[in-house]
Amino acid sequence: MSGVWVVLEERDGRVSRISWEALAAGQALAARLGLAVSAVVPCAQTEAPSVEAAAKSVEKVVRIEHPLLAPYTPDAFTLALEQFFRSAEPDFIVFPHSYQVRDYAPALAARFSRVLIGDVTGIADGPAFQRQLMQGRLTGEYQPNGAGPHFVSVQSGAFRADQVAASSAPVETFAPVIEPAQIRTRPGAPFRASAQTVDLASAPLIVSVGRGIKEADNLPLVQELATALGAELAASRPICDNGWLPIERQVGSSGQTVAPRLYLAVGISGAIQHIVGIKGSQCIVAINKDPDAPIFEVADYGIAGDLFEVVPALTEAIKAAKP
Amino acid sequence: MTFSLPTLAEPSAFTLGEKLLFLSLAAASAALFARRFAPILRTILRARRDPDFHLSPIGRRVWEFFWEVMCQAKVIRQRPLPGLAHAFVFWGFCAFALVTLNHCAIALGIGFLSPQGWFSRFYFYLAAAFALACAAGITGLFIRRFLVRPRWLGKKLSWESGFIALLIFALMATYLAAFFVADASAASRWLWWTHTLTLLIFLPIIPHTKHLHLVLSPATVFLSRGGFSKIPPLAGDEDFGLVAGTDVTQIAALQAYSCVECGRCTEHCPAANTGKVLNPKEVVLGLRSYLNELGPASPEPLLGKYNSQEAVFQCTTCGACEFQCPVGIEHLPLIIGLRRGAVNTGAWEDDHGAKLFLALERGSNALGLSASERDKFIQKEAFPAFDGTQEYCLWLGCMGAYDPKGREIVADFARIMNHLGTRYGVLRKEKCTGDPVRRLGNDLLFQQLAESNLELLAQNKVRKIVTICPHCVRTIAEDWKEFGAPPEIEHHSEFLARHMAQLPASQNTEKVVFHDPCYLGRYRNVYDEPRAVVEHAGERVEAPRSRERSFCCGAGGGLAFLGEETGERVSHVRAAELAATGAATVATACPFCNTMLRDALAAQDTAPQLVDIAQLTARALPPAAPPAAI
Amino acid sequence: MKIVVAIKQVPERDAQVRIDAAGKWIDEADLQWALNESDAYALEEALRLKEGHGGEVIVLSAGPERVGTTLREALAKGADRAIQIDADDLGQRDVLNVAQLLAAAIKPENPDLILTGLQSDDLGYGQTGVILAELLGLPHASLILHVEQSDSGLTVKRELEEGWFQTIEMQTPALLTIQSGGNKLRYATLMGIKKAKTKELRRISAAELGVAPAQIVTLNRLTVPHKQKSTQMLSGTPKEAAATLVEKLKFEARVL
Repeated sequence: MSGVWVVLEERDGRVSRISWEALAAGQALAARLGLAVSAVVPCAQTEAPSVEAAAKSVEKVVRIEHPLLAPYTPDAFTLALEQFFRSAEPDFIVFPHSYQVRDYAPALAARFSRVLIGDVTGIADGPAFQRQLMQGRLTGEYQPNGAGPHFVSVQSGAFRADQVAASSAPVETFAPVIEPAQIRTRPGAPFRASAQTVDLASAPLIVSVGRGIKEADNLPLVQELATALGAELAASRPICDNGWLPIERQVGSSGQTVAPRLYLAVGISGAIQHIVGIKGSQCIVAINKDPDAPIFEVADYGIAGDLFEVVPALTEAIKAAKP
Repeated sequence: MTFSLPTLAEPSAFTLGEKLLFLSLAAASAALFARRFAPILRTILRARRDPDFHLSPIGRRVWEFFWEVMCQAKVIRQRPLPGLAHAFVFWGFCAFALVTLNHCAIALGIGFLSPQGWFSRFYFYLAAAFALACAAGITGLFIRRFLVRPRWLGKKLSWESGFIALLIFALMATYLAAFFVADASAASRWLWWTHTLTLLIFLPIIPHTKHLHLVLSPATVFLSRGGFSKIPPLAGDEDFGLVAGTDVTQIAALQAYSCVECGRCTEHCPAANTGKVLNPKEVVLGLRSYLNELGPASPEPLLGKYNSQEAVFQCTTCGACEFQCPVGIEHLPLIIGLRRGAVNTGAWEDDHGAKLFLALERGSNALGLSASERDKFIQKEAFPAFDGTQEYCLWLGCMGAYDPKGREIVADFARIMNHLGTRYGVLRKEKCTGDPVRRLGNDLLFQQLAESNLELLAQNKVRKIVTICPHCVRTIAEDWKEFGAPPEIEHHSEFLARHMAQLPASQNTEKVVFHDPCYLGRYRNVYDEPRAVVEHAGERVEAPRSRERSFCCGAGGGLAFLGEETGERVSHVRAAELAATGAATVATACPFCNTMLRDALAAQDTAPQLVDIAQLTARALPPAAPPAAI
Repeated sequence: MKIVVAIKQVPERDAQVRIDAAGKWIDEADLQWALNESDAYALEEALRLKEGHGGEVIVLSAGPERVGTTLREALAKGADRAIQIDADDLGQRDVLNVAQLLAAAIKPENPDLILTGLQSDDLGYGQTGVILAELLGLPHASLILHVEQSDSGLTVKRELEEGWFQTIEMQTPALLTIQSGGNKLRYATLMGIKKAKTKELRRISAAELGVAPAQIVTLNRLTVPHKQKSTQMLSGTPKEAAATLVEKLKFEARVL
């Protein structure tokens, strides 16, 4: 048995942020069990991520290298990691709970007749792993039974990446055996939805403006905030009625229904027609002059203040927080 | 000096040739009448029977017939001047029945009203008076149609109407003229023949034109479904509403043929008045064309060539059309029937509509919000839970539970009940009453919602409900009856009016205009109660269109959930009208009206304040009314 | 194409969830049940494929008696037949075991395509589909928004993070897990419900499928998170409030 292994994900030639969070989780788990932590980076040829990982406090870093690992396919990743972990025999394997991991890790675990405990938010005695159920209304504590390897993936943001200590570790390479015929899917290059069309429905971040903006001339203020965030600009009905923004940007029962990660409502009082359109948002922030505005009822965070002061301050704060 | 009243001149005895000529012309006229009328009658009779139709209670039918047909009450009340003109023509026709019978009998030498007899003399004079009124009436109607030309009569001039007017005028003129010619003179013979020929030309025209209503509308009024917007239950496993000709019922067919094309329905229709496709008159005439072309056995869809799906889904179900119709056509069961046909078979594809249906398939409210939001509101306001001991179950409704404005209304109404010491409670598991899906024709969902709510009410032993939403009131009180016996329910306007004496009056003298919600007024006949509440709080003024003729806010019929409308917004038209009254406050008594008018009033240059009547009343309560001792 | 859609019955979205006396599962008394949301999209995709290219749609679900209602609803929306795996003991089965159950029921059907929802609204594992593909030895793709049938197989649109997408080609037979929102769902109709009454719903027990309950991972205990959703009002000068907000969005709400 060889302790805790953390699978790091490569993104644009670097280790992704959420992978560092997984490493933090792995270290926390290892500390609890008195085990060593190692990192493994499956990638095609780039050395950079493994070099980056080797600068962290881990026992060793293994680069799993094979040309068929790029572009990503679940078949190649499952095969490569299966071969590696059969030899490494870990107690625990920790993944970041990314879209990619969700795509192959359950199958990988099944090859070991194991079950992945996914989307973990915390570690308890046992060890047991906490994750949310019933869409966040309940927390469940899961315990793996029997001998390892046990598979765990951690939720984005649940562990602090900046808590990973720096150090230096050796880098090894592992070459899996993968035949092209074993890869049964042909992935195309990633693409974005056409930039010309506004697609509020799938936008992850939205800044939305309402009547509180008073005049069309004040819109750039909110546009700047949206740009700083990398968010789409949207509006409530009166703004589109006035023709200040095109109708495709209208959110609410007579416009678009949205479900972003963050919905930032600026100068929107929160009529029911509007609320109906934003209820799927993961996090709602409201900025409004009137502390009794109904939008605050549905918001997670509220700032009761003059948007002409708060919005520029927020734009600055976001620019400052950008890495 | 002696003055003798003129006597009605009768021609001298007719020759055999004349008799034969008269009889053959009469037979031809009757044949031409029957040639068109018989197939119409056959079409109506071949249509499906109405599943829930009962002739009883007959007393109501007799009264409606007397009031609406004989007295022409609706015709006159809704359009006084042309209504009265029409009534004169109608009463003239009634008075003429005996005269005409006698007129024809004379040709055969069996006249039974002798111009010299006292009864006949009296009757002829009476008929003459009616003839004068009728002639004046038809002249007036002619002038209106051809010179005044109100737009709801359509752009195209109806020459047949002009011709009919001419015939009616000729009938009256030839009758009256006979008082001024010598008995048995050539002139009297000429008048007799002119009158007769006019009559025999008139008869076959009836079934070929909208004047068919002369024959059918008395039957239509008598055979009404008995109840405003009464939606018939579905009969059996193959009934999905009005899908094809085979689904058209006898009453629907009778109504389609009764339409007199007066355009009252269109005149008052909020959709037709704001540039939508829907025109209620055309919906009825569309059905008539369908029946004429394809008949009641056709499997061809009803929505297509003759009626458009787009049009029937633009209806706010405000009911102004059905309320106005002088010949007893029930537009709402027809329009909702067509929607049922489209929704129950899945033919209606609409993103907003599907979203609404899915929200109610998966959750408890039409807004698709989480029930926990409702719980939070109940907790915040500390509404007591209904436990079977309180007098009232306070029904929140979707708007009352989730809409910020609706919540304010409910909270204020609760304060009033606390002030009065009325005991009430709320149900945690209340679901949408099914109003929007009922009006949109989704019978599956409506039945599920009605049944689960009825069960919930029975479990909790609810006997009396009060609510701020007229849509909930109507749906619970009337539409749920199909699935069980709902508890007694009243709207908060009725509750407030009853308790007015115990509630402090406002010292305010501001002008308040009351907007009648369709589902409170036309659907429930409640007009005076909210006005009493308004008068308690300020000076009441009326909008040009109010009470029975109130103009919709645009929300009803599920339309509040169907996204942006085409053409002008109904709510904006109404808001402009309300703002133009100069009132400082617009009061309403429906959370849907409230939400529709809110944005629309804000768009006015001088926006009056918008409140619910409960909020008007609550203003005068002592601050921080202590909760009632329980 | 013969398509199997594996669906799950979950507590209705509005359900007021309480933890049971043992603290290991939710109190199922008084709960109302509905079709899992992303499964509804999987069914919709299957129905659209059938409407476009012909074929058969079979819905499959495992669970207690009540699961039949959800299968009937799926039949009402247009599925051709249903298979109900009777298993009252889902609580004693982990996701691998449930996938084994489903695999055993699917195998004899030999479908060209298997669809599942991305994840369930109750347990939220998001693994059943992927494991099922592994057990059946089929290629798979997850987070699929759109499926097109081509001459050589399938072309699917997969959602990636941050508003990116990718197209994947694959042969059939295959398995896809369907993300919510790719299609517009159809509503249930009265006519559909009436037609569903005449469609086949075959029941088969977990024992007949030869899959005994087993758990490699057990759910030890359930708790209600302390943090109830309520609005946090941020005070201070605009600058302070803005700084606090950014901090909270990054580390508390974790949306930046």
